[in-house]
Amino acid sequence: MDRTTSKPIADDLIRPLFQTSIWFYAIVLATGTVVACGAAAWGYQIWNGIGVSGKRWPTFWALYLTNFVFWIGISHAGTLISAILRLVNAGWRRPVTRCAEVITVFALSIGAMFPIIHLGRPWLAFWMFPYPSDREIWPNFRSPLAWDFFAINTYLTGSLLFLLLPMIPDFALVRDRSTGLRRRIYGALALGWRGTTKEWNRLESAMQIMAIAILPVAVSVHTIVSFDFSMANVPMWHSTIFGPYFVAGAIFSGIAALILAMAALRKTLGLEKYLLPLHFDNLGKLLLLMAILWGYFVFNERLTVWYGNEPHEMAVFWATQRGAYAPLYWTMVVCNFVVPLAILSNPYTRTITGTAIASFGVVIGMWLERFLIVVPSLTHKQLPYSWGTYQATPVELTIMAATFAGMILLYTLFAKFVPIISIWELKAGLPSRLDPAALAEAALLATRLDTEEFSPDSSSTQGEHR
Amino acid sequence: MAYKWGMAVDLDKCTGCEACVAACHAENNIPTVGAQQAARGRAMHWIRVERYYEGDFPDVRVKFRPVLCQQCDNAPCEAVCPTYAAHKNEDGLNAQVYNRCIGTRYCANACTYNVRFFNFFNPEWPKPLHLQLNPDVSIREVGVMEKCTFCVQRIKAAKIAARAEERGMVDGALQPACAQACPTSALIFGDLNDPNSRVARLSRSTRGSKLLEDLGAEPKITYLDKQPWHEADTYQARG
Amino acid sequence: MRAVYGLYNDPHVAQQAVENLRAAGVADADITVISSEPFDHFEFGHRDAKTAMPWVAVAAGAAGLGLTYYLLGAGQRAWPLVTSGMPIVPMWPNLIIIFEMTMLSAILATVIYLFVSAGLPSRGGRMYDPEVSDGYILVGVENPADAARLEPALAIAGGRVKRIS
Repeated sequence: MDRTTSKPIADDLIRPLFQTSIWFYAIVLATGTVVACGAAAWGYQIWNGIGVSGKRWPTFWALYLTNFVFWIGISHAGTLISAILRLVNAGWRRPVTRCAEVITVFALSIGAMFPIIHLGRPWLAFWMFPYPSDREIWPNFRSPLAWDFFAINTYLTGSLLFLLLPMIPDFALVRDRSTGLRRRIYGALALGWRGTTKEWNRLESAMQIMAIAILPVAVSVHTIVSFDFSMANVPMWHSTIFGPYFVAGAIFSGIAALILAMAALRKTLGLEKYLLPLHFDNLGKLLLLMAILWGYFVFNERLTVWYGNEPHEMAVFWATQRGAYAPLYWTMVVCNFVVPLAILSNPYTRTITGTAIASFGVVIGMWLERFLIVVPSLTHKQLPYSWGTYQATPVELTIMAATFAGMILLYTLFAKFVPIISIWELKAGLPSRLDPAALAEAALLATRLDTEEFSPDSSSTQGEHR
Repeated sequence: MAYKWGMAVDLDKCTGCEACVAACHAENNIPTVGAQQAARGRAMHWIRVERYYEGDFPDVRVKFRPVLCQQCDNAPCEAVCPTYAAHKNEDGLNAQVYNRCIGTRYCANACTYNVRFFNFFNPEWPKPLHLQLNPDVSIREVGVMEKCTFCVQRIKAAKIAARAEERGMVDGALQPACAQACPTSALIFGDLNDPNSRVARLSRSTRGSKLLEDLGAEPKITYLDKQPWHEADTYQARG
Repeated sequence: MRAVYGLYNDPHVAQQAVENLRAAGVADADITVISSEPFDHFEFGHRDAKTAMPWVAVAAGAAGLGLTYYLLGAGQRAWPLVTSGMPIVPMWPNLIIIFEMTMLSAILATVIYLFVSAGLPSRGGRMYDPEVSDGYILVGVENPADAARLEPALAIAGGRVKRIS
């Protein structure tokens, strides 16, 4: 019974490692070119000075910080899905966990590059690291940027391990199915894993502990990123709401990125049997919840400012609501709130296509939200004589485009060399592992889902696919 | 006793001539960035004269206000620097250590007065302008933050001379470049810890107020004006 | 390395094989069950479940906390610079960094303990069959005292027995 169900699953999920389509080469070539352009732009910037970007007095932070916060925000996808759903034992998470954890690791790596890219003297970035130097001075631990250094490195290490540990059994699977050089490489990566009960128990204990540990770290990371803004006495930055606001926004954009990644994987790798409408429906509901939560935070923040009518803050308020930044502001509201609520609250439109469209809008809207936090406040600080403007330059836009291309490139390469769905986790959740009563229910569910149809009255039984 | 350098700016005497700006550039080796970069907002004027217009023609009034680093006692720019490039020194000055600056520009964002400036490019002085450079002041390279230091090189020189001659500092003898150049003596510099110094007496004047005082940065520059003006008025003026 | 083991399709049959081995007098520590997925719902799957890993994580976190607390204070006192009027050793900013390093210590210790207690990476030379990757469950004994006696215990319906000599 096991072999008839588990071997085809393993076959399906390992196939991308052994077969390469023309699309793989096309995507790698296209994104690789954009990444190379971005690297060239960065080199140009280091050589000529950061003045080739659009920053100026008083807008000393602009696109690079926006992208920094954006990518760190995207990285919260993995934590939510993997850690929280693992801890509450939600079975539908199983095909989704590795997709999400990969987004986390790559988004964090990309986001962590931006503090270096935006530095005036990036060759001295290593001074952020607390090493005993002959200058006998340590970093200033009072600075939110020092907190960023510790938080992001902790989260990156944790997420990387959280991703790599469950990959070991899958590497062993690929090792057993391959020959020659591939066998030796995956054999080395598998660290001699066999699958004894002791190994499985230790692995699952470690995953459980790390899931518990990574959650407060994830919350702390984006809170600390928000402290980069709220610790400065800049109008509409110096707000106590920034911590929770940023974390909610991060989870929001993370889920959207995850939905987009899953939709893309489903098409390109032929994973229609594993990434089901059920998953998109559940993630769509989470996205809806986060959209409402985002709207709640924005309303809170803006009502407080408007009601207080403090002149410094109102200058920024009106600049975003009615002034120069109004087109971006209202686009953000439509993308983050109006469109997701319209599409996702209706079960008929909460399909794979629907959630993908809503997610695309959310990604754009959340990028705009980061921009509208950073730039309007800096261009309207307390002294009106020092109000200014900002305009992005080709260098900044190229580097930004390169990060998006880089994310797609890294993800494509990962899906080529590692099974993108955790095979052992998927098998462990199969109906054949359950007792007869649950088996019957699961069989009924499987027939319904196989037809890829979906009616509102079946929503009560969904989510139980253990 | 330690010094506490401060300044009083008499707005009733300021004519907006900007001699202080030119003198500061000359004394502190501040680069001129060129017309194109200045249009892009990269100009570095450690002291700037803010100009506000009030009223409609023909009843227009112009008000000038020189703004420079306020050398705050509770400076918002210091704690946010990750490399200790900004800190308070023993004279109460807000020191900017160029060698430690890696250019995160957080200090400039945190500064509520926007008096910090960044070297977006490597500064250039085409010959023969390089002959004009002040040897007492270091040149800052690209990626380094800079701001008014109250001409710390002059302060150091005066302290060394006073110690060599075994005397105290004479009030009024030590002046930063801006105060020295001002034709109406609108900028008065001195030791706030000396209760008899001119700047200490002026800081207690009824005409005196601090810029953005309620934000709590405790600036050490007192602005003297018969008619105190609030930022809210300038918001109206700006429209 | 000698071994005798059976390959089974069904976890229930594998459980039966484990019982048979126990009945044949093999100690629990000598029975090895290898599979390509964890079988938590079955008795043979959680034989080795007891572990000190959570305590190791907590202890490492506490160690990280103490070490960071000490290092932060020492570094800040080594170069006492006044910034924004804050104390030389400020409590709240330090708490943030202490929190991060505590969590990092706990995470790293968990991973290291995982590798040490699971015996990874291992250089091989132990009982294994690649058919496990196809979904079979392997139940067997490494270096058995009397392999011939154990073979009937493993030869139950739905399984194949193999011997390595």
